[in-house]
Amino acid sequence: MNSCDKCGNLNIIIKKKQSGQKLCKDCFIKSIQKKVLKDIRKYDLLEKGDHVLLGLSGGKDSVMLLDILNSLKERNIIDLTAVTIDEGICGYREEGIEIAARNAKKLGVEHRVVTFNEYFGMTLDDIISKNNVKEGRRNACTYCGVFRRWIFNRVARDEGATRIATGHNLDDETQSIVMNYLEGNIQNLTRIGVKSETRSNRFTVKIKPLREIPEKEIALYVVARELDVHFAGCPYAGESFRAEVGNFIKELSNEHPTIMYSTLRGFDKIKPILKREFSQESIVGVCENCGEPTAARLCKACTFFKDWEDE
Amino acid sequence: MKIKLIIGEKEELIEISENKTVKNLLDIIDIASETVVVKKNDYIVIDEELIEDGDLIEVIQVIYGG
Repeated sequence: MNSCDKCGNLNIIIKKKQSGQKLCKDCFIKSIQKKVLKDIRKYDLLEKGDHVLLGLSGGKDSVMLLDILNSLKERNIIDLTAVTIDEGICGYREEGIEIAARNAKKLGVEHRVVTFNEYFGMTLDDIISKNNVKEGRRNACTYCGVFRRWIFNRVARDEGATRIATGHNLDDETQSIVMNYLEGNIQNLTRIGVKSETRSNRFTVKIKPLREIPEKEIALYVVARELDVHFAGCPYAGESFRAEVGNFIKELSNEHPTIMYSTLRGFDKIKPILKREFSQESIVGVCENCGEPTAARLCKACTFFKDWEDE
Repeated sequence: MKIKLIIGEKEELIEISENKTVKNLLDIIDIASETVVVKKNDYIVIDEELIEDGDLIEVIQVIYGG
């Protein structure tokens, strides 16, 4: 007989492959909220009085994180501002922005929408159409990631935020570990973690409170909570190496349901050694063009612009 | 037996044989169960839930590639 392991309710909504645990709707929602708040304490992600800038795309991960961080705002533990970045992906981003705005408004959370166009004078669609001119160029996710990080950091400083919170989940994080390892990007590996650490005060500390929650459980949470969510795939995502690695890990997880947890745990154990041997964080300066922190003469975003100018 | 199946905007009446679970149905319509949340008669159910005649099954696509 299937019944909730916590309260005995016969209407269960999940039977976890990794642990066999069965939960009803109410117990599942409570267990997820408890786990995220526990991780926030365990990893020291937030302090009382922090001003958190939440990246709110309107997708399931960020809407769930808004729901949980709002409970800390309501208890006057943190201040919360949500920011939605409009990259300029025609036919995809518009609906997400509307949904993000509705969620923020419903909870009374301050919300800003900022665009690639206002900061860089071009949309992601423009960048990709430029990108197609030459072969061997980077895919959309590389540009998008670099420009989004640049904007987050700039907006966080403008807002006086002390933390940037993002909805990265267990699947995202495991993909980052495996893809960077497979590509030999050891520098990137040293920066993966639940909380960014940097000596530069121009970088706002980034936190990932959903890092240990599988994507499927986040999806189940937002459906169970009946949250307003943008369920759609980015048109550029399918072309990425991340997508290939993601599909590979998903396939492995079918037969080995704990594989993402063990990948994360194993990585977290070797990370201090990677940091000690390979981190370049001690030589952070500022980009001579835009003033954002960087280990090089130009930050990554300005390097892309310089490359385009030189063509 | 007949059930009503809703996937996104699409709604249809389909015929399936007795003693089929949600997982069996997803296999028949070729949808990976790890990418969806399924509701039976407005309640979220697990893969091994049995489908009965006249059920309303809603398949919500929640995970997309990439």
